[in-house]
Amino acid sequence: MSELGPSSERRPTGITGLDRILEGGFLVSGVYIVQGPPGAGKTILANQTCFYHAAGGGHAVYVTLLAESHSRMFAHLRRMAFFDESAIPDHVYYLGGYSALEAGGLEALVTLIRGAIQKHRATLLVVDGLISAQESSPSDREFKKFLHEIQTVAELTGCTVLLLTNAERASGFFPEHTMVDGVLHLTDEVSELRPLRHIRVLKLRGSAPIRGLHSLRITDQGLEVWPRLETRVSPHVVDEETVGSGPKLPFGVSELDEMLRGGVRPASVTMLLGSSGSGKTLLGMQFLSEGVRRGERVVYFGFYERPDAIIAKCQRVGIGGLKEGVERGLAQIIWHRPVEGVIDELGESLIVTLRRDRPQRLFLDGMEGFERAADFPERLSHVYGALAQEIEQLGITAIYSTETRELFAQTIEVPIHGLSAATQNIILLRHVEHRAAMLRVLAILKVRDEDYDAGMREIRITDSGIRLLHTFAGESGVASGGGISSAARPPQREA
Amino acid sequence: MQSKQSILIVDDEFGLAEMLREMLRDLGFEVTLAINGRLALEILEEGTVDLVLTDMMMPVMDGAELAAAMRSDRKHRGTPIIMMTSLPTANPQPDGLFDAVLRKPFTPDLLLKTMLGCLASGHAGATERRPN
Repeated sequence: MSELGPSSERRPTGITGLDRILEGGFLVSGVYIVQGPPGAGKTILANQTCFYHAAGGGHAVYVTLLAESHSRMFAHLRRMAFFDESAIPDHVYYLGGYSALEAGGLEALVTLIRGAIQKHRATLLVVDGLISAQESSPSDREFKKFLHEIQTVAELTGCTVLLLTNAERASGFFPEHTMVDGVLHLTDEVSELRPLRHIRVLKLRGSAPIRGLHSLRITDQGLEVWPRLETRVSPHVVDEETVGSGPKLPFGVSELDEMLRGGVRPASVTMLLGSSGSGKTLLGMQFLSEGVRRGERVVYFGFYERPDAIIAKCQRVGIGGLKEGVERGLAQIIWHRPVEGVIDELGESLIVTLRRDRPQRLFLDGMEGFERAADFPERLSHVYGALAQEIEQLGITAIYSTETRELFAQTIEVPIHGLSAATQNIILLRHVEHRAAMLRVLAILKVRDEDYDAGMREIRITDSGIRLLHTFAGESGVASGGGISSAARPPQREA
Repeated sequence: MQSKQSILIVDDEFGLAEMLREMLRDLGFEVTLAINGRLALEILEEGTVDLVLTDMMMPVMDGAELAAAMRSDRKHRGTPIIMMTSLPTANPQPDGLFDAVLRKPFTPDLLLKTMLGCLASGHAGATERRPN
């Protein structure tokens, strides 16, 4: 006789990111614990899985034990897109199990569960409030016996079982963990006034889940899970030699393209580093505008300016073609609010767009948007590395802007740790005080393994586009805000 | 005088049934509890019940099955049955099994008004009424 146990067949949750983490979903006949503090999303996860299962023709039974009342639960679930009342009771059936538990103990509860699975031909069972069963158990041994019986029922009926419980336990001992096929742990914390929700796979038999913490959010769609962005990119070391050797991509600003000896290399990453208002966004948009003019696909991905506003702003200063590019399907303007975002959600949005549309040019406007959405700052360098790797693998030439914290300073500091390591080229933009005037300046700080013009130029934004001027010829210390003239002659105004 | 009337509450959700029982007892009703339809039928066989308040989804035997069993039994055919449901739009009245539907959560006033109405008229679809 063959040994019974979960098959390798999967029962998806319908939560895309979670199914990716679980390698396709829960195992048929598998028994899983979903644990976490109140409000972490356990009940939503379980209900969402039930309704997804029902939508595919399956049957689910949801048993509550001293959890919230069904009417209260429905009131919360009703606003979520997955909740389909028409699936109740034929495909999703709700039962209260605590009265049976109180009257007849764990044995009565097992009887109730077994009967409900059979009667409703359930292939998915949820027991919400496992802690009540555990607390009513006279010993750990009896509780393990109860779990064993649930496992047996699951094996015999092909039913997948989710046991929801509160993770907090004074003893710190979780005998149930040894009995089940998997344990998912949900967390709900607040960091610097921001809510942070995560999901982690503590145990998963028969699978190689994506380990570690993954971002989770509860929206009107239900639970949304984003596997850590770093895991979305296949391991691949960026080889500088593989950065495109084809024709360079110009900005369409003749003076800058001359300084760059024709533009930036294909599949390279260029940082526009500068203070607020120094012209980073417009220079990045100019790069995209030039791409559209050449018939290339381009993507803008930003956080601070809405698509219509940024196109209008470009048109005002003679950076044209973007609106027409959008209309022709060459240009995409993607905007995300930086507030309350999840870094993995932003990264997913970007990666999906890039993989789908394969643009030649990308402008990431304001990397601080990623920084603000980061749950753990120490992840940022990994996230940037992963994004850079993905961009390089797709052969996309990327420009990104990041803001220096100081408007004027003697030193120039890349504000986000780990950013410059994933960058081939760095262009500095900033304000300087020069002869009783505030000027914008541009300088190329780095072009990896290539010759470039390291001179400082005034960057002037006119009604007819961006121009670079030789304002500072013969002067030193301009970048740090202390331009000193070495000659009494008036500055040459144009390049 | 409804103070002597007997109500059977059938609900598997712990807490709600107990709360209803206390509330109705305070109003002078005799109240019995059952946690599923099958236990409710046993109670019905043992004594007189003037009205059944039943949940829809329950283990072993649900509210619709209970109502169908009662309607097919001459002894209980005329007993009014009020369905309590958490679902706001579902129509839990297959074949007129139930005399009224209460959507959870409901107020004590609405419960009492609905109960008194059903007690006064008996089961609307009954072919045989219980003697007063």
